[in-house]
Amino acid sequence: MKNSSKGFKILMWVFIIAFLLISVFPFVWILITSFKPEAEIHGSGAFSIIAHNPTIQNYITVIVDKHILRSVKNSFITAGITTLYVVVVASMTAYVIARFKFKGKSILMGIILAVSMFPQMILIGPIFNMFYKFNILNTYFISLAYCTITLPSATWIMVTHFKQVPLALEEAAKIDGCSSWAILWKIIFPIAAPGVFATAIISFIAAWNEYLLSCTLNQQESMQSVPVRISYLRGEYTIFWSEITAAAIVVIIPTLLMVLLFQKQIVAGIANGAVKE
Amino acid sequence: MKRISLKQFVFLIPLLLFIAVFSVYPIVTSCLYSFFDYRTNDQQKNKFYTNEQLNVSLLVEDLQYINYYLNTDLALTQGMTGKPVVSDEDKAEMTELMNTVSATMEKYDANDGVRAFKSGEKDELEALFDDIESKLNAFYNEKYPDAEFFNRENTPIIMENLRTAVVESNYIGGSNYSTLIKDTRFWKALAHTLIFMFCSVELEFCLGMCLALIMNKAMKGIGLVRTIGLIPWAIPTAVSALMWSYMYDGSFGIISKILSDIGLIGKSTDMLLTSTGAMASAIFADVWKTTPYMALLLLAGLQNIDRGLYEASAIDGCGPVKNFFQITLPLMKSSIMVALLFRTLDSFRVYDLIAILTNGGPGNGTETLSVYAYKLMFGQSNYGYGSTVVIGMFVCVAIIAIFYVKVLGAEVISND
Repeated sequence: MKNSSKGFKILMWVFIIAFLLISVFPFVWILITSFKPEAEIHGSGAFSIIAHNPTIQNYITVIVDKHILRSVKNSFITAGITTLYVVVVASMTAYVIARFKFKGKSILMGIILAVSMFPQMILIGPIFNMFYKFNILNTYFISLAYCTITLPSATWIMVTHFKQVPLALEEAAKIDGCSSWAILWKIIFPIAAPGVFATAIISFIAAWNEYLLSCTLNQQESMQSVPVRISYLRGEYTIFWSEITAAAIVVIIPTLLMVLLFQKQIVAGIANGAVKE
Repeated sequence: MKRISLKQFVFLIPLLLFIAVFSVYPIVTSCLYSFFDYRTNDQQKNKFYTNEQLNVSLLVEDLQYINYYLNTDLALTQGMTGKPVVSDEDKAEMTELMNTVSATMEKYDANDGVRAFKSGEKDELEALFDDIESKLNAFYNEKYPDAEFFNRENTPIIMENLRTAVVESNYIGGSNYSTLIKDTRFWKALAHTLIFMFCSVELEFCLGMCLALIMNKAMKGIGLVRTIGLIPWAIPTAVSALMWSYMYDGSFGIISKILSDIGLIGKSTDMLLTSTGAMASAIFADVWKTTPYMALLLLAGLQNIDRGLYEASAIDGCGPVKNFFQITLPLMKSSIMVALLFRTLDSFRVYDLIAILTNGGPGNGTETLSVYAYKLMFGQSNYGYGSTVVIGMFVCVAIIAIFYVKVLGAEVISND
């Protein structure tokens, strides 16, 4: 018994260390490559851990010539707008779902769930044509199209959190003459703030990472989001991996900061998004 | 819980609007597309014509060209003498034709664009087209086969173009669907998608479960595991796909090098240049990115299990393996099902990873349904058939979801 539990422990540590190594290794390797001149990536120095002639030219190129920071800005604005309206819309929906009963509630919840499940590919053609018709391709209106990827999970997480807000407070407010609108924004919303925050951060990341819609609707270089911009760095005939890796490091930094600062909220968001209690 | 009143129903309106505009409308429209031969790069097929239409602007434009051509050619003179090539008699006949053409042109307003035929219009126009064609033919080929007219080659082209002013209906009923059933590329793409889906979800589930069990233990440093695991999940798939495509590269990719050095693959180029290698690469990249996410989903379910049960089983002398199969798995069934359902559907619609890593290559060996549909719609502007492929995907997704909910009993909606 004792032996087997010791074996178990060793196995566990091997697993943990393997997991950490495999998770981190690509980032380390990309970081190393980003300081190599392009020639070294292809030559005999391709697998050396330290660049022979380390350079920061790659970073200068992607920032100055390839405008990677402009797409970081685009992504920030788009994801920011998305997060704002998604939090508002999801709060309103979640309040009604968490607090009231009505006919067709399970149908509504089924529809919300279905939206999060069906392939986005079915939306992309008509949405592209719609944006084309209204002449809003290559604008921040793309945020509105992001509702299909963010609203369902946001609503889901919000419902879980709103249900945990004690009813008593709300009833007291009602006696004081508060409307549902005021109850939602002045009582439930602040109390459920951690949940709201988790929703916001999950929606932000989803919008930040979105590729399909943004590579279709915002193709113009000045409006490209981070994932699209970086995929366009890979030319048709030439690939400068030194620049791509430098760009990857630049765009990973904001994500890394988000994860480090908000990991509790992210974990809560992921957990609440899927588990019904 | 109280019953809803109209006032609270208003709260649902924004969501319903979003769903209507960005989900219901596109789905319905995609279904519509799939019944048409709809191509945005073809003037004849870039709208939905359930019956024949008249392209008025094209008609007027082409008629103008015919008159212009005739006008130039009738004025042709013989080199030295300056005598007109065309006899007065023929000139009069052709001028008459030009007058007919002008008269027809005046009846139509080029600003109408494409519109439905008025009654009798089609027959009238086709008679006119035949008339023009036979007269032009007689003029150019029978009467003056040797004259050096400027527009001898141009006139047949413009005639052909003129006939396309009558736009045929591009409504083709279920014909896209019968093409779909016979389309081997679709079935291959479906097979690739299913292989990708099964392999990545299975692997993610097994590894994620191990990771979740570990993370559930109160241990020092477990926060680090969680933080590190979140990073691959949080970075854009496009970025991680690019990172992996660099590391899988045959000549300078570190992963290919390591794998071929330890003998797991024959040549270092096998990773991206054989379809098995490329599929394995894509699956591995997906597992790398999503395992921690799966672990967090499962961890949430794990934490809901009453710790007392384990204490009780410890008293009964049960080991960890027995605990796992007798307590943990059965109690986690619902969260496992939900996690699997989400991940299965997520990987079924995989687009960005494959599109960037292999773009369906080599030789379509990793082309998934999403990639195929996207190529059809945005590569070839063939929205009609592309939408049909997408509808095919939609049906598969529905089948998978129903299978999970009905057969495996995933409780997705708790109705309280």
